[in-house]
Amino acid sequence: MKSRKIVGLTLTFILALGLLLSGCGSNSATPPADKGSDKKETTTPTDTTKKTEDDNKPVDGGKLVIGSIGEPTIFNDFYSTDTSSSEISSKLYNGLVTFDNSLKPQPDLAESWEFSPDNLKITVKLKKDVKWQDGQPFTADDVVFSYNIPRSKDYAGPRASDFEKIKDIKKIDDQTVEIDLSEPYAPIMSTLAYSILPKHILKDVPVKELDKNEFNTKKPVGTGPYKFVEWKSGEYIKLTKNPDYFKGAPHIDELFYKFVPDQNALIAQLQAGEVDIIGVPSTDLQTVEDWAKKSGKADVITTQALSYTYLGYNMLNPLFKDKKVRQALTMALDRKAIVEAVLNGDGKVANAPASPLSWAYNDQVPTFDYDPEKAKQILADAGWKDSDGDGILDKGGKKFEFSLKTNQGNKARETIAQVVQQQMKKIGIQVDVQVLEWSAFINDNILKKKFDTTILGWSLGVDPDPSGIWHSKEAKDGGLNFISYKNPEADKLMDENTKILDLQKRKEVIDKINYMIADDQPYSFLYYPNDHLAIPANLKGYEYGPAGLFYNIQNIWLAPKK
Amino acid sequence: MGAYIIRRIIQTIPLLIGITIVSFAVMHLAPGGPIGMATQMNPNIKAEDLEKMKEAMGLNEPVYIQYLTWLGDLVRGDFGYSFVKRVPVSELIIERLPNTFLLMFTSFILAFIISIPLGVISARKKNSLTDYSVTGFSFLGISVPHFWLGLMAIMFFAVKLGWFPAGGAATLDGPFSIGDRLIHLLMPALVLATGDMAGLTRYTRSSMLEVLGQDFMRTARAKGLKEKKVIYKHGLRNGLIPVITILGLILPSFFGGAVITESIFGWPGIGKLFIDSVFQRDYTMIMALTTVSAVLVVLGNLLADITYAIVDPRISYK
Repeated sequence: MKSRKIVGLTLTFILALGLLLSGCGSNSATPPADKGSDKKETTTPTDTTKKTEDDNKPVDGGKLVIGSIGEPTIFNDFYSTDTSSSEISSKLYNGLVTFDNSLKPQPDLAESWEFSPDNLKITVKLKKDVKWQDGQPFTADDVVFSYNIPRSKDYAGPRASDFEKIKDIKKIDDQTVEIDLSEPYAPIMSTLAYSILPKHILKDVPVKELDKNEFNTKKPVGTGPYKFVEWKSGEYIKLTKNPDYFKGAPHIDELFYKFVPDQNALIAQLQAGEVDIIGVPSTDLQTVEDWAKKSGKADVITTQALSYTYLGYNMLNPLFKDKKVRQALTMALDRKAIVEAVLNGDGKVANAPASPLSWAYNDQVPTFDYDPEKAKQILADAGWKDSDGDGILDKGGKKFEFSLKTNQGNKARETIAQVVQQQMKKIGIQVDVQVLEWSAFINDNILKKKFDTTILGWSLGVDPDPSGIWHSKEAKDGGLNFISYKNPEADKLMDENTKILDLQKRKEVIDKINYMIADDQPYSFLYYPNDHLAIPANLKGYEYGPAGLFYNIQNIWLAPKK
Repeated sequence: MGAYIIRRIIQTIPLLIGITIVSFAVMHLAPGGPIGMATQMNPNIKAEDLEKMKEAMGLNEPVYIQYLTWLGDLVRGDFGYSFVKRVPVSELIIERLPNTFLLMFTSFILAFIISIPLGVISARKKNSLTDYSVTGFSFLGISVPHFWLGLMAIMFFAVKLGWFPAGGAATLDGPFSIGDRLIHLLMPALVLATGDMAGLTRYTRSSMLEVLGQDFMRTARAKGLKEKKVIYKHGLRNGLIPVITILGLILPSFFGGAVITESIFGWPGIGKLFIDSVFQRDYTMIMALTTVSAVLVVLGNLLADITYAIVDPRISYK
């Protein structure tokens, strides 16, 4: 999706694991969105675990040790691409806006924003009296300076495309900036979530050398709730609270991010009390929940992840040309049983290429529930019959058989591949499962379109624009529409959707797109996974949703242990 | 002796260059690259931007040019910038290498002081219950993988009993104290030592068995020397010669073991750094670490040869 991803703590852990074990499709991190807004958020989706604060008042003090598999790389949104980095930089910096648990933009450093009638100009009012952690005042100059980094021709980083719709950015006065767009562009809101960097510190650094500047790794200064103290390579990163934080001083004194590269060791450290918070993968959920219940030291909290897992069909393969055949293949899959058996029920069957967490989700899409008999019938109507009696369907002397590729190290996907193989066999289709090392899988197979079908997952962005995955122009070499889905009508709607700024109107267009895609079934959408966190039992005041545990971190506190 | 050492060091230069060429080639043969790994499956990042980054990082040059550039920098003492972390590679290695050394040498010494006496006892009491138990435990030690043993140790001694910390090199943000460092060091060092300890015990045992049957041992006893002196002065000194060769050879295995042990115990050494950089295809970091460990292994072998001459006066290098 063409937008910033919400980088919650959960995603950090799951995706950090993903980096190692090749988890989700998109491992890249994006600027922090889990920063607080000063508006109290009341609209949390139903899946969000929410804890209401106890009657007793928040207590200051204490520290939290967050166990992390991945070690961050660089605290600068314009260069970092991993979730560990953006998780920490979201504590150090703020963007102009942030995204809440319903994935809607909320003011962060911005006080308010306004689009011009032609939607080509955004006027952003900035909050007054915000100070950098070194005491300097935050002004419009910092915003202009920061946005000009990825717009510079000397910039050699991964984020330029997010800023390409910005034609110009001007300071009007110390508290106002004006952004000119080259076309009306709704996902621009997610660009406004990028961290603002301090001009007074970085103004003399040439953009060419900015990525190697020690500001990024040794002395970052932001406007955020926590200040950087030290990074002990391979051990931990220490942050201390910013008492002058513009949304109110955080209650918890210190945050430690402790690096434990092994998942089992990470759980052992949780049990030994050496880390307080860890991401819990589905496979370890039972173990950690049992321990949490028995010891009473921790709670395991759950939210739906902003991602989905799918079985994708390579449309260049003549087998999958016919929409009816693809629909039949989905009917052959008992996805409910897959979620129950493989994930222990820890997920929800998906039918559309969007997440129920998003405001742009609509469940009114064609669904293809488990019905092997009907699947067989549809295939027979399409000419696929078992004419030689070997149990495999054939047509014109060609057997219905294909390969299914997925990546190594993701137990769930490996198991699902086998279940798919068995269920396809039942309706007379031969599936050859191949499990490949992540990098070879992506570079030599997926991106080169050398596959028949694949099981993969997408981490979605906060902006619901489907173009990045479904537009036919992304079917080019190296593009992410590697299944070569082409629907001119959907293309047109996709081009349209980013130009509509009204959420409701845009949702209607996106609904249509998702309806078409669901009807075309270029993927068998499998399920929406869950994210789990183990947190201290005395942690109070948090909301856990797609924006992460630390959305509104200044409200979180630790109750004194009795 | 001095001339010999210098000659040996000069001989290692082509060897090291060979190692770097092979590593560089193998690394570039692996699919993916430092830019692709984290970014290519993100619809938010355009292929054109990645192309520009590649160009800026010199990754579009032919591999041999990239190698020569890297080698040129290396000769000038510059390992370059990490592609992923964007800090000088040498900075990270200097920060982490002492930790790996500490872990390796502690477990090396542990392996040495535990296995040599065990091997001697085992040889002296050949075919006794003691011998069988030592042999049994040795084979167990060889067979058990580090990661499993490490996890079991953590579960038992750290989680169940709470005697030792479950990981890390020191108490989080605590004041520096030798006791604290030692208690963090002990478990990973012991786990790392097991595999080689087992091997060393076996080598010591067989080498001692051979020596024990020699004529000079009988002569020593006939002279009326005490048994202890016979065994440890005459026997062990001769029995150790082959063992020292082995010590030089197991040095690389300590490196390999350290990679796994460091990950399990969250030990901030170069092993963990190496795993990270391999997964991220951080070319400069991989090359720097490969070169550093190659140099260490070569030096380790040289050291073994020199020790050889010290232990066995019959050997002299010219």
